[in-house]
Amino acid sequence: MLKQALPQRAWTAIAIVAVIALALVPLLPGAVDSYAFSFLFFVFLYAIMAQGWNLVAGFGGQISLGNHAFFGLGAYTTAILWTGNYLWGSLYDSHPDIYYFDPVTMTLGGLVAAVAAIIIGLPLLSKLRGDYFALGTLGFGEIVKVMFINGGDFTGGAFGVVAPAGTFDTLLPHYLVGLGLMAGVGVAIRLLMRSRYGLALIAVRDDEMAASANGIDVLKVKVSAFAGSAFIAGVAGSLYTYYIFHVGPDSVFDLDWMLLPLMMTVVGGTGTLLGPILGALVMYAVFDLAKIVVPDYHPVISGLTIILAMLFLPKGLMRSFAGRARAA
Amino acid sequence: MTLNIPPPDILLQLSLNGALGGAMYGVAAVGLSLVFGTMRLIFLAQGAMIILAAYFVRALFYGLGIDPFLSLLIVVPVGLGVGWLVYQGLFRRAAAEADRNISLLIAVGLMFLIQNLMTVVWGGNTAAVVTSYTASGIEILGVRTSFTRSMGFLIALAGTGLVVLFLRSTLVGKAVRAASEDMEAATLMGISPHRVNAIAFAIGIALAGAAGVAVATTFPFNPFAGFIFSLKALVALALGGIGNVAGALAGGIILGLIEAYVQYFISGGWTNAIAYGVFLAVLMFKPEGLFSRPYKKA
Repeated sequence: MLKQALPQRAWTAIAIVAVIALALVPLLPGAVDSYAFSFLFFVFLYAIMAQGWNLVAGFGGQISLGNHAFFGLGAYTTAILWTGNYLWGSLYDSHPDIYYFDPVTMTLGGLVAAVAAIIIGLPLLSKLRGDYFALGTLGFGEIVKVMFINGGDFTGGAFGVVAPAGTFDTLLPHYLVGLGLMAGVGVAIRLLMRSRYGLALIAVRDDEMAASANGIDVLKVKVSAFAGSAFIAGVAGSLYTYYIFHVGPDSVFDLDWMLLPLMMTVVGGTGTLLGPILGALVMYAVFDLAKIVVPDYHPVISGLTIILAMLFLPKGLMRSFAGRARAA
Repeated sequence: MTLNIPPPDILLQLSLNGALGGAMYGVAAVGLSLVFGTMRLIFLAQGAMIILAAYFVRALFYGLGIDPFLSLLIVVPVGLGVGWLVYQGLFRRAAAEADRNISLLIAVGLMFLIQNLMTVVWGGNTAAVVTSYTASGIEILGVRTSFTRSMGFLIALAGTGLVVLFLRSTLVGKAVRAASEDMEAATLMGISPHRVNAIAFAIGIALAGAAGVAVATTFPFNPFAGFIFSLKALVALALGGIGNVAGALAGGIILGLIEAYVQYFISGGWTNAIAYGVFLAVLMFKPEGLFSRPYKKA
């Protein structure tokens, strides 16, 4: 543990160098087909999810237990638009890859999730605070899942929707888009947290009543952070659809899409900018290693790791490194 | 959708089965309520604990030939001890932290750990406890229902009753109630937070043990069945009002009734969505629960 805090600028420099280095990785011979490449793709995916959760929970102080629902909404939106027989079948039949990594489709995935977050967030956040919000979002996640199971032909029922897997060629676009999104979300949150809005969000987290007394519209700040978090999760779900192709209720609405990013954020450092990324890298490495070394016991190891990390590193890696708590 | 009003005996049958099944959610909810009350922790591992107890009951039955209902005498004291140890070993330090995510994550880690240890030890397949009386039924109010479900109901009723009695009439119980209402003030009155937390945990896990007996005798179960139980218990908890122990049992029974009616009148596929919909509606419009007196919580 470093006693001396690294200055903010040093962290920024490290982050920029790391992103550039990662962007150059595909140029290495054989890198794209290596195991490490898909490993990194998943680290990016989880880091994006973790960053989304961190926005509402770490900076905003509202513990959402429903981010897997937003991830699933983004994934389903993408898959349904893509195969969209119900909406504009002909386009898909003639050009199956027109929606593959289509920025509009991915944005729509995020927007659907964000709209859902506003619809559920307004009543939940205006009446409930703290634990009740956590309970409510957990219930919301289950409702969305059941709705998709019962969605008939539109959602493909319990089986889900299968996107045209024939479009898959290489993991390169997944990797680059994942890296770009992770970096983009990081930059966006950094800018956001330095703006008036970011200050308001932290003020609401630290003392709601004082924030309100200073003229901050508490509900608006909370709901918009929740919607932003959902948007990020929805885009991540969209990205996952391009990887998995078969979007089913048990896979994309799996609670793990909420629990693992939550855990990664807390291990990395809640309410820090780089914590979620660091946490995603470290925790995913631990899980993956356990999967390879002790395949039969790896979920046991995962459970143990969470408990141990929480017992001995409750403030997160980032804060232990940086020496002191830092808001952004 | 055509709504046929069924004959009264079917309605009675539905209500009875719903209420009996719901009591099991209720007893899980009572445990959650105690832990939530003192620690403000959503103890997501409660369901996994119930299933662990069910496996334990099964091992006692098939290994040593101990009757599942008789094994309550073993499971409940073991649960008290395990709960105490779990608190002292895992949650004691986290309880002192302001960041309650830490406790929540330890609960999640514990859930993963228990689920997967059970899978390693007993395999992932569905298990059941089949006794000579598993298939037998009894008649209540002229309606036939299963004997084991009725026993489960009695266990839930007795468990909740004992907890209510403990909270109302013992000094330690009063300390737990005081801590649930205002931990800071309770601490100023000389109540040790660790002690009440540990007691709440011990009782919560003991109740999970009792619920485990009821589950083992009534339903087939597998290592991952616990999570849905935790969620249902949360719904029951919200229906009854957080911090209201008897309300948690009633909430469970109401949830069981809702499920039974939805299953009969609409379809089995929508049971969960409607149960959680009711949950959300209660959280939004009556967050203090259906039965509570006007009472403000932090």
